[in-house]
Amino acid sequence: METVYIPSPDTIPIAWGWFQFLLLLTFPLHLLAMNAMLGGLGIGITQQVLGGDIRSRLAHRIAIALPLVIAVVVNLGVAPLLFLQVLYGQFAYTSAILMGAFWIMIVPLLIIAYYGAYLYDFNYSRLGSMGILVAVLTFCLLIVIAYFFSNNMLLMTLPERFAEYFSHMAGDYLVSGDPQFLPRYLHMIFGALAVGGLFVAILGRFRATADPELAEHALRLGMKVFSWFTCLNVCFGLWYLLVIDRETMMMFMGADLPATISFTLALVLVVMVIVSGFRNKLLATFAMTTALVYLMTFMRAWVRSSYLREHFTLGDLQVVTQYSPLVFFLVTLVLGIACVIWMLRLTAAALKNDSRPSV
Amino acid sequence: MNYPMWFLPETGGGILIALIAILHVFVSHFAVGGGLYLIYAEKKGLRESSEQILEFTKKHARFFLLVTVVFGSITGVGIWFIIALVNPAATSFLIHTFVFGWAAEWVFFFVEIMAAFIYFYMFGRMDSATHLKIGWVYFISAWMSLFLINGIIGFMLTPGAWLENPDFWVGFFNPSFFPSLFFRTFIAIFLAGIYGCFSAAFVKDRATRETMTRFSGKWSLIALLGTIPSGFWYLAILPEQAKNLVLGKSPTIVTMMEWGVISLLALLIIILLTAMYRPSLNSKWVAATLMLAGLVYFGSFEWTREAARRPYAINELIYSNMIFKDQVDEISSQGFLTSARWVQTRELSADNLIRAGEEIFVHQCYACHTIDGINNDIVSRTATMSYGALRSYIGKIHQMRYFMPPFVGTGEEVDALAAYIAGGLHGKEIVTVKQEDSGVRLFEENCAACHDSADLAPSLDGNSQEELAGLLTRLDEISEEMVPFAGSEEEFKMLSGYLFSLNNETGSQADTGKTDGAELFDINCSACHAAEDLAVAVSEWSPEEFRSVLDKLETLSEEMVPYEGTAGEKDALTEYMEKLKGEL
Repeated sequence: METVYIPSPDTIPIAWGWFQFLLLLTFPLHLLAMNAMLGGLGIGITQQVLGGDIRSRLAHRIAIALPLVIAVVVNLGVAPLLFLQVLYGQFAYTSAILMGAFWIMIVPLLIIAYYGAYLYDFNYSRLGSMGILVAVLTFCLLIVIAYFFSNNMLLMTLPERFAEYFSHMAGDYLVSGDPQFLPRYLHMIFGALAVGGLFVAILGRFRATADPELAEHALRLGMKVFSWFTCLNVCFGLWYLLVIDRETMMMFMGADLPATISFTLALVLVVMVIVSGFRNKLLATFAMTTALVYLMTFMRAWVRSSYLREHFTLGDLQVVTQYSPLVFFLVTLVLGIACVIWMLRLTAAALKNDSRPSV
Repeated sequence: MNYPMWFLPETGGGILIALIAILHVFVSHFAVGGGLYLIYAEKKGLRESSEQILEFTKKHARFFLLVTVVFGSITGVGIWFIIALVNPAATSFLIHTFVFGWAAEWVFFFVEIMAAFIYFYMFGRMDSATHLKIGWVYFISAWMSLFLINGIIGFMLTPGAWLENPDFWVGFFNPSFFPSLFFRTFIAIFLAGIYGCFSAAFVKDRATRETMTRFSGKWSLIALLGTIPSGFWYLAILPEQAKNLVLGKSPTIVTMMEWGVISLLALLIIILLTAMYRPSLNSKWVAATLMLAGLVYFGSFEWTREAARRPYAINELIYSNMIFKDQVDEISSQGFLTSARWVQTRELSADNLIRAGEEIFVHQCYACHTIDGINNDIVSRTATMSYGALRSYIGKIHQMRYFMPPFVGTGEEVDALAAYIAGGLHGKEIVTVKQEDSGVRLFEENCAACHDSADLAPSLDGNSQEELAGLLTRLDEISEEMVPFAGSEEEFKMLSGYLFSLNNETGSQADTGKTDGAELFDINCSACHAAEDLAVAVSEWSPEEFRSVLDKLETLSEEMVPYEGTAGEKDALTEYMEKLKGEL
């Protein structure tokens, strides 16, 4: 029998359920923001390429929003990555090392992409068609980063592959050739493009008073993109379902009741969001999509735990209990959210009294 | 050993961490102090009703946003990525131990980002009082990020009472927490002034450029003064070993400290000249030099702090090569290769000695040493050492050089590592030199299981070397539990010589049979000294002086350890040195 190389985990300060809760709470928020970033930028590029006044105005609005969205994506990515490392660090660190040369490249690539986004924003008018090149480069960098993330998140669930370390000590191992990789990656990218449509529609809604024409265009375009890309993404989702191992797949087909209920609910929601999307019902579509992303995140967690079950379950983690740091964090979180809401209200009030074009 | 080692032999993980971390801290501390700077620059503009100063502040806020939110944030995540790749064991430990500290820091990071965006985009678009409030929210949340990370970084250097009481708060409020917090706060404010000078240099309006240069210079100078007492406070609370490293026992720290002093002087001169004496001297080049000096100054501090933890990643807990201190004895008795998770060679044989040594190198040495790289290159550092010298050195590496972790493993694994370095890397012959035939070694192999040399010495006093050699042939007569020593004539000579030397420290009668000074030098001295260089250094010494110094090497320098050989060996070394001096 081949040796499976898995490091021993560290102890955790409270029961694993807390971390699982926090992981599943924060990861969908990161996904939604990431989708807004990637999908929004994709739509912005096509709008600018197609040209015309209204499309150009929309592309500019997207360019203005992009840096803030990237900042939020990065920030909302920190929390789930932290909780993931607490729960599955022994797998996630190992898989990152196996692909270390690529994994660390995320840092410079993201810096370049981020500055690209600022360049696109601050110099939108001045750059003209060069702006399209900058935006395309930024977009390409972001999907390369997504490619590395998909590799790592897949590899961490395949500890049987960890022995590849001995042939890839320089960290040049990727699992893009694995049957799961392509559907998984495409499902994530096309999901992002779809939800990017929703983001564009919402962005237009914010301009409803100042520029109703733009808002209408953004709504129609955004909802159309969302609906068609979601239809397409159903195919990638089914492809992904078919390539995961049979035991895991069967969890969603009746073998595991909560997993099956989630999957069924997700299918119903998919139909509902597509219908609602084609009817241009923005808020309802957004609310249901948020619920859908949460459900898909739960399913993703089931897939991960199923793949790792033979070697590890979260119940294996040893707890050395100390609750006070959790209390400190929760208090900080509540105060932080309150502070951000307070600042946003001050900003909204100031913008109301400001006659200049909004930021 | 619990985790795989990302192995980039020519690069090394340490340099990657340093590269990302130093650039990050230079920006992240600006992100803290810069918030305060913006508030006071804006206040100054409002107080003096100066549109130019307010315009400067707005432009500086844009620069601030681009530098801190983009580069600062992503390199912050970058540090997390790189430390997890280079030292996953310590990273995992810190993540698990302080998870809610990190989580709280994430919250402040979020507030900080939102406030930074609102501050910049709403500059001039909301009333000044509200705008300044946003500035304060930014600064407080940024400083709280510093507060939280400071606790965790401080823990790595001074875990203090946590080692006995593993409580989150005990570890967080560790001995270096407050001195480090004050020091970093002053540094953050200081850097904000430097960046302010930099921004001011780009202002076209001369009056505003000079006003803000002077403002930024004063700002920096006051903060720089604050770093001095807090820096000494920081130094004062360091554990003894870390303090020794900082104060001269670590060669790399000494170099870094020199750079720190040079850059500090450069900072002082430029600030005094441009800010206090003649602000008109501030130009883009001067400001860029100021920034560079600031980077070197802060970089040297961060490097020193990191290096002061050596040989640990987390002081007294995890060595820099990811081995936990409390596992050393167990692993050494069981063997590293059988205990480590990420090695393929489990059993040693003559055929796999070098391959096994390479695996040991990867997991025990590579954390700090590159192979043919810039940082701590193992090849150049061991160029003068033979296989035998390496064997001797590796076994007592931590005793000789505190900042290096102890070798963890069996004697055979020491041999494998020495074989890899001498044979695998240098292509030298892997032959056992006479050290293992020396009296000390023979005593350790044959007698030390039951006898301590110091305890044994009095009972042997008064015997000549020949009598002792005779005694060795009839040990069974002394006690039924002993068997006569069975060695070659040469070995009898060496062991009896050693036993004789126990009571005849200064005598030269002891004949250990080992009089090859060149070999003795190779084994005992070549780790640190090139023979010819040493001959030059002691060319003015008489043989008597040299010989007497061998009895008290530890008094020469704190880095030297006493020579443990016999009087005969010391004589041989002296002769060897005399011979070399004659050839100069």
